[in-house]
Amino acid sequence: MRVALHAEWTKIRTVPSPLWLLVGTVAATVALSAGATSVVNCTASGCGGDTTKLSLMGVYIGQALVAILAVLIVSGEYGSGMIRTTLAAVPRRAIAFAAKAITLTGVVAVGGTVAVLGSVLAGRLVLPDLGDQALSLTNGPAMRAVVGTVLYLILIALLSLGIATAMRDSATSIGIVLGLLYIVPILVQTISDPYWQRLLQKIAPMSAGLAVQATTDLHSLPISPWAGLGVTAAWAIAALSVGGLLLRMRDA
Amino acid sequence: MSAPGIVVAGLRKRYGPTLALDGMSFSVRPGLVTGFLGPNGAGKSTTMRVILGLDAVEEGTALIDGRPYRSLRHPLTHVGSLLDAAALHPGRSGRNHLLWLAHSQGLAARRVDQVIEEVGLASAARRKAGGYSLGMRQRLGIAAALLGDPPIIMLDEPFNGMDPDGIIWMRGFLRSLAAQGRAVLVSSHLMSEVQDTADHLVVVGRGKAIADAGVAELIAAASGNRVALRTTAGAHAMKVLARAGATVAATGRDTIAVSGLPADRIVTVLNESAVPFSEVSAHRATLEDVYLDLTREAVEFRAATPTEVRR
Repeated sequence: MRVALHAEWTKIRTVPSPLWLLVGTVAATVALSAGATSVVNCTASGCGGDTTKLSLMGVYIGQALVAILAVLIVSGEYGSGMIRTTLAAVPRRAIAFAAKAITLTGVVAVGGTVAVLGSVLAGRLVLPDLGDQALSLTNGPAMRAVVGTVLYLILIALLSLGIATAMRDSATSIGIVLGLLYIVPILVQTISDPYWQRLLQKIAPMSAGLAVQATTDLHSLPISPWAGLGVTAAWAIAALSVGGLLLRMRDA
Repeated sequence: MSAPGIVVAGLRKRYGPTLALDGMSFSVRPGLVTGFLGPNGAGKSTTMRVILGLDAVEEGTALIDGRPYRSLRHPLTHVGSLLDAAALHPGRSGRNHLLWLAHSQGLAARRVDQVIEEVGLASAARRKAGGYSLGMRQRLGIAAALLGDPPIIMLDEPFNGMDPDGIIWMRGFLRSLAAQGRAVLVSSHLMSEVQDTADHLVVVGRGKAIADAGVAELIAAASGNRVALRTTAGAHAMKVLARAGATVAATGRDTIAVSGLPADRIVTVLNESAVPFSEVSAHRATLEDVYLDLTREAVEFRAATPTEVRR
């Protein structure tokens, strides 16, 4: 396992695209977060709404880059045929797959942390200092939102890795992941029945998972913050299981 | 102690309606270059993928020094292989490609630089592999196969895309690997590429080995007792020889291959019937003949397939 991890780490650091995608994730996340906080109308009594959630809004776009990074790690190898070299070097497929997942987790944890902390910092700089605790990391709910958002990005990466391993093709995998993330929230807008609206929000990987960012009005959420992240985790585990199983069963 | 080298026994594999492997069996022994020959689609690459544990089979076993590939710890120190030289990330340098492979086997970066020197790729090693010519990629693939200093080397069509210099280098290189005591398996669909290099030949067609013998043995078997006859009266000659009990076949405009009769008897028969002829000589088959002979059926079968599909 140790050597397989070392190999995957060497792979990911010796091509330029993962680094650029991580830099892009950080840049896009921080930029969108800063943009979102800059349009808030603050009064002396506060900024209204959930400032923590608002200042972490950048993950809506950052997650797409994380998903692309994760997909390319495996489908890029299928595209070139290099997956055969990988599996000849590490013939135990569960180990080869785990090495990819762990390396991806580490890389996204670092990139995601930078992106999220950057967003919080941007929020603090943009918003007037009103003694608002929403952006203080000593504040319990704010801390949960920050840590939860990093975990959310890792789960999206693992979900994407599983789907890409099952589908093998970059374009198809990216299409499925982005569809899964963005189409459900769009669908929700078109549904008038509140029951179905809430149900969809409870089971969709993005709307459920990002409940972890909420710090105000928790009782009105369709799903509680940690339970929501749990739903995203279930999606990731399901995708990894299907991908891992197919990797073991199919010819390389 | 189990057999060293590669032992393939009774592989069967189906891709949908086509039988890709149909009882493929042969072995690759240390100290020899074994040529793995057959027309495209005969099952050479599939067999190699099965040996490497990449493809599963319905029946049969492929063992490396008596063990299945998937059970090997640090497999590249047991078998070095090159399946597809184009299977690279174009943005990664040749050296870094070898580096991740080395790390996957617990080998140090020093070994990477050694194999780069060995295949003559030092000047290009730090450039992106996407810019390599096919010949350079083949060299990089050979370097990867040598990385773990394995006792078994397996190369799929290593001559593809090589310039004449590269082909000569490759031949010498394969010979030297076998001289070091390694078992070397080299596939090709062209006899001319391996005939001067291989000690042993496994000829495949339609998913099974149709010949598995030493080079000298194969030539002797194919030459048989055949006699080449040159005559302007071909039809007449064939008639009288056939009547005398020989098997005859026209091989050219005025040449006939005769088997089943010794040369002196042929001369007598022809003289008795007053058939003019200009030459009678013992026929010596070339490896090319042997190969074409052996694989004719397999190729014909493949050529017939589209008609069958239409029906």
